[in-house]
Amino acid sequence: MTERKARGTDGSLLDSLPWTLTALGVAVLVHLPHLPVWISAASILCAVYRLLIEKRRRPLPSVWFRGALALGCFLGVLATYDTISGVGPGTALLAVMAALKLLETRKRRDQFVLLFIAIFLAMSALLREQYLWSLPYMLLSLVVTMSAWLRMSAAPTQAPPQSVFAATRLIGYALPLALAMWIFFPRISSPFWSVPIDTSSGVTGLSDTMSPGDISSLSQSDAVAFRVRFDAAAPAPRDRYWRAIVLHRFNGRSWSGSDPALDTRYRERIRYLGEPVDYEVTLEATRNRWLMALDVAESWDQDSINMGRTQTLWRHQPVDQRMVYRVRSYPEYTIDETLSGFSRTWYLNLPEGRNPRTLQLAESMRRDAGSDRAFIAAVLQKFNREDFFYTLQPPALGRNPVDGFLFSTRQGFCEHYASAFAVLMRAAGIPARVVLGYQGGELNPLGDYLLVRQADAHAWTEVWLEGEGWQRIDPTAAVAPERIEAGRAGAMFAGVGAAWGLTTPARWRYQLGMTWDALNARWNELVLGYGPEGQQRLMLRLGLGDADWRTLLLTLLAIVIGLTAAVHGLLMLRHRPPAADRAKQLFESFTRKAGVEPARGESPLAYAARLVETRGRQGEAGDIVSLYLDVRYGSAGSEGLADLQSRVNAFRAGRAAL
Amino acid sequence: MARALSVSDVLPAVREAAGARIRRWARNRQGPDADLTVLRPRRVYILPSGVGLVFGIMTFAMLLGSMNYNNNLSFLLTFLLVGLGFVSMHSCQRNLVGLEVSFAGVDPVFAGDKAVFAIALKNRSRAARLQIYLEDDGTTSETVDLLPGDSKLVQLPVDSHRRGQVHLPRFAVRTRYPFELFRAWAWLHMKLEGLVYPALPVQAIQPPASVTALGHRQHDARGEEDFAGLRKFHRGDSPRQVAWKAYARGGQLLTKRFSGADTSSQWFDFDEIPVADTEQRLSILCRWVVDADRRGEDYGLRLPGQTFVPAHGPAHRQNCLEALALFGLGPGPGSGHGDD
Repeated sequence: MTERKARGTDGSLLDSLPWTLTALGVAVLVHLPHLPVWISAASILCAVYRLLIEKRRRPLPSVWFRGALALGCFLGVLATYDTISGVGPGTALLAVMAALKLLETRKRRDQFVLLFIAIFLAMSALLREQYLWSLPYMLLSLVVTMSAWLRMSAAPTQAPPQSVFAATRLIGYALPLALAMWIFFPRISSPFWSVPIDTSSGVTGLSDTMSPGDISSLSQSDAVAFRVRFDAAAPAPRDRYWRAIVLHRFNGRSWSGSDPALDTRYRERIRYLGEPVDYEVTLEATRNRWLMALDVAESWDQDSINMGRTQTLWRHQPVDQRMVYRVRSYPEYTIDETLSGFSRTWYLNLPEGRNPRTLQLAESMRRDAGSDRAFIAAVLQKFNREDFFYTLQPPALGRNPVDGFLFSTRQGFCEHYASAFAVLMRAAGIPARVVLGYQGGELNPLGDYLLVRQADAHAWTEVWLEGEGWQRIDPTAAVAPERIEAGRAGAMFAGVGAAWGLTTPARWRYQLGMTWDALNARWNELVLGYGPEGQQRLMLRLGLGDADWRTLLLTLLAIVIGLTAAVHGLLMLRHRPPAADRAKQLFESFTRKAGVEPARGESPLAYAARLVETRGRQGEAGDIVSLYLDVRYGSAGSEGLADLQSRVNAFRAGRAAL
Repeated sequence: MARALSVSDVLPAVREAAGARIRRWARNRQGPDADLTVLRPRRVYILPSGVGLVFGIMTFAMLLGSMNYNNNLSFLLTFLLVGLGFVSMHSCQRNLVGLEVSFAGVDPVFAGDKAVFAIALKNRSRAARLQIYLEDDGTTSETVDLLPGDSKLVQLPVDSHRRGQVHLPRFAVRTRYPFELFRAWAWLHMKLEGLVYPALPVQAIQPPASVTALGHRQHDARGEEDFAGLRKFHRGDSPRQVAWKAYARGGQLLTKRFSGADTSSQWFDFDEIPVADTEQRLSILCRWVVDADRRGEDYGLRLPGQTFVPAHGPAHRQNCLEALALFGLGPGPGSGHGDD
């Protein structure tokens, strides 16, 4: 093997390669929007090139060319993503591998690797997103892949539709097994290791800083932030403050300082009052660690969630995938009845020399007001009475944005009001902080849940008052009360939203959207709800009690054995001999019982004659043989078969009795 | 040169030994098979193939991934693949169970040629049996698809080393359908033997001159002009030379003899060949028989203890060659595979 000449391909892959390529194509299809363009282009180019090679019987590219290409692609992925772990780069690598493998696929069996890659690609699509159509898509992908598998490994006599049919039939057999395993395989709550799902594609949502214009940029986004299902009635719109993070560091322009440190003794700092509200949140992926909860959370259902030091919920890992959690909140509460001297200084801190006019205004208004309470009321009244506007398109602000907003533009979104209010409070000696989250949400009557969109993102403030603790004050409510009272969607349809720059969709489109969203919500619950807790609930309903993983695995084993036996039976049924042969079987069992082997080539009639001759058994032997001949070659049909059966049985019983 | 044994040296030997043991075990378990055997479930063995092992590793990795991300759809995909694994295992086994395997004969060969054993596979079920092939010690046959009711002959070539008999003590019926994740097989131990004529030398010494009854030279075509009488019918005589009228009268088969017909009768005599080695003598005789037969001449064969009077025709050729093949071997085991 010293001489390695480039051999031409022999065209033997022509009947299977297009199938393998189709399987790969279907698997990579959903990844295309997420893949860098150069990878998609390179993959398609490789596929077309490889097909041409096979058609024209040309040799495959040389080892050097392929090696250089592989190195280039690998470096390309690395340069695009800066990493090779995670679903995004992983998918890109898989696509590149498939393309390169194509160029060295010579034998039929080489396509196994390609089909394995197709399966992995289908799986990474599911890891990326589990949409409503993900299930049919996954099944389609599997059918195509397994059909390609049969095209590659199996019969050249099998026509392509037969391959598809056979693959579908086998998947059909596997489906009950898969469902049983899906239901009973023990689910665990905590992952083994944390790999980002896909950090490459952006997600709209809150960020952990707030500058003027940040939230208003979200205000046109219809994207779903989370959905909430309340155990009892949903609270009124004005009470739907979804707390996410608290910002307390101000640099003159933007607010930051969200703090994920946990607070294990939060129950000592928060006094819960009034009636609790229980609900379940289905949160879309945020890539952040904070969670949304109704102001303010008391308890929740997952160990990986903790209360932070500013009464917000944090998770151990970023929310890379849609997740479900249950929370109990109390709309009435008192936080931090006492504030340490250090905290007090911290929450009063303002940067030197920024927004000087605002500071002056705060001092003079505080002097005029006389008390903190009166001062707060005066500021809110100022927002309400003077010509402040609530708008989605606020004008740009300069170096002292709070000054610019309060004294010249006077047009702003919630973040402008919250920021200005907090600065005024701090300047007047009242500890204040900004809370980011969502406010309101639309009740979807079809699904009986609350839909909160990114457009519902909101910023409000909390001020600390002696003896009362942290108090929520929403300056937006002073300037645009409809936003808070009716919610964003409510205000939109009441005609108020237009004045803020909101575009109102047509009623029917809105309702159609809500219907689609209800379907999605239901699907998410179904697909996501079946975690460790859902499994426990189902086991209870099935009467398995408090099933631990051992019970689950044993049950699973029993069911899988049962179902496999069923598949076995089904296959036996498929392979049962045709009716004529049943007659032959009966005849054979008759000859076995008679104790005389028919000679090879001996006709049944000759055999019957010999049987009578040697064993002297008259009558029945001749009857059975003639009936057998009639069933097998004549027109006796199924009745004759039944008759033959009973006669042979009788014969066998008679022999046994002798 | 002493050299440390490496794993790659030992591994094939170990595998070989283990394989032989397993085959012996299967042979003892199953006993000998009839010439027509229907494969019963308990004799169809199944193991995962290489692809199947990779498939297993892949599904395990997918299971870990699904558990890690707690992703229910990816769980479903994984379990569908696991289910497909189970289904393909049972399907693979069912592909063989109930298959009818029978011996369909083997033509005699000259030593050194391949004896081709024909095995008939018959599918007596309502479902197709796909991708079935035979295998004997690494030699595989072509792969066949059997539709319901189909019967196909599959040829399994076996090396014949020495004259005598070639045995096929064991062969396997194999399949990997569907998906090639598993390989199922059944070992069959039928008593299959074929005849091996002595090796046919390309060139041999000239045969002895023919002794012609009437003294004139051989005709290429048998003269049929002069009727010279009747003799008893020998197997291999042409039907055209049978005296059918005489048969109709007396019920005895007689062959017409023509004076021009019996031009030559060569005698190939074992003892007269000027070569010492028995095997070489047999080979030379073999060559002569084959050549004479091809020319359509009459020839007789004289072996120590056996004599074949001059005649011609395929039956005569076969009798002569068979005698050469089995000369001096007695009823013991012949060449080809060692019995195990």
